[in-house]
Amino acid sequence: MIELKGLKKNFGDFTAVDGLSFTIETGEFFGLLGPNGAGKTTTISMLSTVLLPTAGEIYIDGVRLTRAATEQKRKLAVITQEYSMRQDMTMNEVMEYQGRLYYIPKKQIKEKSRELLEFAGLSDYRRRTVRHLSGGMKRKLMICRALLIEPEILLLDEPTAGMDALSRRRMWNLLRQVNNSNMTVLLTTHYIEEAEALCDRVAMINRGQLQKLDSPKALIRELGEFTVDETGQEGMISTHFKDRDDAIRYLEHAGSDSAMRQTTLEDVFIECAGKRIAER
Amino acid sequence: MGIITVLWEKWVEFRRDFYKITVAAMISPLMYLIIFGLGIRTTSHGEPYIHFLVPGLVAMVTMTGSFGAIAQSMSVQRLYEKALDQVMVSPTPLWQFILGQIIGGSLRGLYAACVILVLTIPVRKGLIFNGLSFAVMLLNGAVFATLALVLSFLAKTYSDAPRFNTYIIMPMSFLCNTFFSTEEMPDGFRQIIEILPLSQASGMIRSISGGEAPDAAGFAVLFAWLALLGSISVYFIYRRKNL
Repeated sequence: MIELKGLKKNFGDFTAVDGLSFTIETGEFFGLLGPNGAGKTTTISMLSTVLLPTAGEIYIDGVRLTRAATEQKRKLAVITQEYSMRQDMTMNEVMEYQGRLYYIPKKQIKEKSRELLEFAGLSDYRRRTVRHLSGGMKRKLMICRALLIEPEILLLDEPTAGMDALSRRRMWNLLRQVNNSNMTVLLTTHYIEEAEALCDRVAMINRGQLQKLDSPKALIRELGEFTVDETGQEGMISTHFKDRDDAIRYLEHAGSDSAMRQTTLEDVFIECAGKRIAER
Repeated sequence: MGIITVLWEKWVEFRRDFYKITVAAMISPLMYLIIFGLGIRTTSHGEPYIHFLVPGLVAMVTMTGSFGAIAQSMSVQRLYEKALDQVMVSPTPLWQFILGQIIGGSLRGLYAACVILVLTIPVRKGLIFNGLSFAVMLLNGAVFATLALVLSFLAKTYSDAPRFNTYIIMPMSFLCNTFFSTEEMPDGFRQIIEILPLSQASGMIRSISGGEAPDAAGFAVLFAWLALLGSISVYFIYRRKNL
């Protein structure tokens, strides 16, 4: 279980994360959604202890997470947005380095690495240095590296950024598989459909503050499950309805360019982020 | 265990760049030897100048070798590759990571010194390099590897590492008992220069090479630097808010 209590991070005068508090249950697939600059990566960086909070605390299974908390860190693996690897190491060396950092016996590192690289379709490139890999290969290698240590908690910062649609779907399947083995997953993404497809619950943050927290279905229900889109002079305007009949009645009086559809998590996100932008 | 992991990582780096590291360790000391030792032939305290120069150069390359091995690699890992994140999130105790870097850096300095010792065999007849000399080289390398760690934690951009070299390493190379004795410096300035680690290391290696016992105060100064810089680097890695 991960608990964030009043987590705050300032960079000079700028507040990147502003009093975040929520709990992620063991085995949960949890999404952290927000527009660019919302504080998602900063939150992940504090969870991986690269950044220390200005205020507030993080607890892993009831124990405060610090840079010295080796037992807590043993449970964590992070896949960062950037390719955080030694560029001059080969894939085999990257995997061995990770295994050694987590005290995995050498024989086990070799066997597990072979298995994971094969699964990811990277076996033929084992002796290639990271510098000479494509972006997609680097991303896959980072996932293999994280899974090598069989973490209890997997932190994923925009894991599918820059991936094509097919690779993204494959990644989703892989993440579902690892979550099925009771691994807690925290995913930050700005692909809303990704969060909708994968997450048990999502937290929407904006300007470092928690806006909404619930399951995707509950958030959609709260906004209204039916949406009417109208195209006017000011662009597309979406109106949300909890009742289907209300939406149909509204549609009957709307312009010819209007259409009714199911509300998505993206509508919740736009409503949430858009309101905040308007408040500024 | 974490120390072994870091040393393994340093070994991987060394094995891959073996030729580049070896050539880089040779170039500048070789130039100094040719220009000052063989080109401008002179004497110092009645001895051939090369007998004064070789111990100084050995001390200097332990400094440049150790500093270069850590400053460049750590700055790149922290700022460009973000590979330090992998270490930060791992259960390897961070003090072990620091200690591994210091030992690894020190060994790289020792390797550079060994290259120079081999190269100077024909011109350093009569000079003594024994276990104590190697202990001083290791200690000097450890001090500068730790200094490199501290500076790489302070670096804000990738290009800061070469700047540290220009601001700190280059002046020390010339001023700290390498090419001429600190005794010839004016009072005030001399005391400042003498407290610097390279001055002490050069002095001690030179004493040993001349068959004399090294000044025990030199060890004290080097250990004091190591303790100070080591404490700062441990403080940074555990307490610095933004790594």
